[in-house]
Amino acid sequence: MSSRRLTDLLSHAYLWFCLILFILPFLALLGYSVTGPGGAYAIENFKYVLGSFGSNLGWSFRISGLTLLLNAIFSLPCAYALVRFNFPGKRFLFSGLTLPLYVPGAVMGLSLVLTYNFTYRLTNSIWGLVFAMTVGTFPLMLTPLVVALKDLPPVYEEAAQCLGATKWQTYWRVVFPLIGPGLSAGLLLSFIIVFNEYLVTLFVHPTGVTTAPLRVFNLVRTAGLQPTTAALAVTMQLISFVAVLAFFRLFGTRYLKGTYLI
Amino acid sequence: MSRVRLTSITKTYYGATLAVDNVTLDVAEGEFVTLLGPSGCGKTTTLRMIAGLIEPSAGQIFFDDQDVTFIPPNARNIGFAFQTPALFPHLSVYDNVAFGLSVKGRDKTQIRNRVEDMLMLVELAGYEKRFPAQLSGGQQQRVSLARMLATDPRVLLFDEPLSALDKNLRDTLKYSILDLQRKTRKTAIYVTHDQSEAFAISDRIVVMNAGRVEQIGAQTDIYLRPATPFVAEFIGANNSLIGKVNTVEPLAEGARVTVIADGVTLRCQTPAAFTVGDSVIAYIRPENIVILNDGEASNYTNILAGTIDRVIFEGATAQLRVNVNGREFRADVTCGQRLSLGRQHGPIRLGFNEVTLIGARQ
Repeated sequence: MSSRRLTDLLSHAYLWFCLILFILPFLALLGYSVTGPGGAYAIENFKYVLGSFGSNLGWSFRISGLTLLLNAIFSLPCAYALVRFNFPGKRFLFSGLTLPLYVPGAVMGLSLVLTYNFTYRLTNSIWGLVFAMTVGTFPLMLTPLVVALKDLPPVYEEAAQCLGATKWQTYWRVVFPLIGPGLSAGLLLSFIIVFNEYLVTLFVHPTGVTTAPLRVFNLVRTAGLQPTTAALAVTMQLISFVAVLAFFRLFGTRYLKGTYLI
Repeated sequence: MSRVRLTSITKTYYGATLAVDNVTLDVAEGEFVTLLGPSGCGKTTTLRMIAGLIEPSAGQIFFDDQDVTFIPPNARNIGFAFQTPALFPHLSVYDNVAFGLSVKGRDKTQIRNRVEDMLMLVELAGYEKRFPAQLSGGQQQRVSLARMLATDPRVLLFDEPLSALDKNLRDTLKYSILDLQRKTRKTAIYVTHDQSEAFAISDRIVVMNAGRVEQIGAQTDIYLRPATPFVAEFIGANNSLIGKVNTVEPLAEGARVTVIADGVTLRCQTPAAFTVGDSVIAYIRPENIVILNDGEASNYTNILAGTIDRVIFEGATAQLRVNVNGREFRADVTCGQRLSLGRQHGPIRLGFNEVTLIGARQ
């Protein structure tokens, strides 16, 4: 066996080793989630996912959906202003806007509880939770949008304007479609974070609203690790996987190769 | 199809840099006018102000009698060709050409007919379903021409649309642009730094430098009668000599003048009035200089003796670098002429009639 072939084989083996190492915890969880009493195979653990856990997943989806919507509405004009206009303190402002990324969840939760004390309504509605999530994931949405807009030469907007398009028509028909991959990347990152976030939720969730990750956390704390809880956790994980795979399928290669814009 | 007028258009950046300085221009209906100048001369800024993409700091822009100075580009009804085709990459050729009509809310059948006509015009019928990335550079630029013509604009504006293409394509496309303009009889303003392009397609040329208009005129005016030293030096190649007017003999029109420049006496006729002692720059075009054989009699008004330093073969022509009194002259000769000289170096005589005199800036 030549040394070249040996190196190939070793590097290949190393990659597999890394892969297994990193997905091992997930595999353990997957195994546990289908374990019944006495170690028997029990896929029926998953029936709780649609049953009593269904409402938790429902809340998670609702919170994520509202957060993504709010986030898109806030960050699109923000990113556009940051890229297309020149004003003093632009860099400082951008750094400031990405700050929530570096704030630990517990600190964020505490500060939000303090803030919400002034407005009791927020503490008791899901909007309090949605705002908290929006603040936390805003930078994840903003950054890919800024990158996508920077990659988009202004000439397309100028061409649209010269062809008679109004500002709004230019945004809707030219700018938004062309930054679609950036927007999707932002939505995906935010979705994965919001959907799986439990710490901030723990601080600001209104009574009666228990998201899936919070339910997992509560169950593990009160009842220890049950296979049914593992089933919920696996379901959450699969939802995140599917979101990522869908992104790569739709935009991934085209966007990553940079061939999207001619 | 509008007349376009610019009155004292000025653009300053940050209140300091003068990008465009007091440009006044009147383009007639259906005329093809080219703004020509080196990069940074303000030609593109001027064009973008006509389009409305930049607001002027002072002055006014009129389309016919309508003051459009502060009207946004989407309300001006213009066609603008950018340096890149700038086709929307997410839209098909059809949707690109239809864009201008569709944002104006025209009905579907009307749009379809117009798009078909336009693609026919640029000889790209059948390409409707392609996407820009599937077209060659030349095809993309033709689609962009179809797109800008589809809305039936009042004025066509071109910002070096061919600069990104290779030379052969540039040569064909510049005539396509001219043909389209002639067929549609639209007013066109074209920006380029390429003289041959400007000379090939324009009715009139506006030579710009450092934000100012140096000269406006037809090709022959610009080429044969440059108004300023900048134009004389920028257009084509020129031998320039700085000297003083020695004698002036007035004629019915203009005057017969002799100039002593760099130790050489030049005789010429000039339409402008000079007086003895004026500082002037004399320009002699290399292609107007003829090489005289030894002893050959001639009736050129100016005959200078010199020696050939260097011969540069350029294909159809050859450049001779001739040393006259220690000063280098460039003379362009056809290759046949060069071969008939029989030798490449040695004494030679240069004959020419035409000398352009321009008063030197004091």
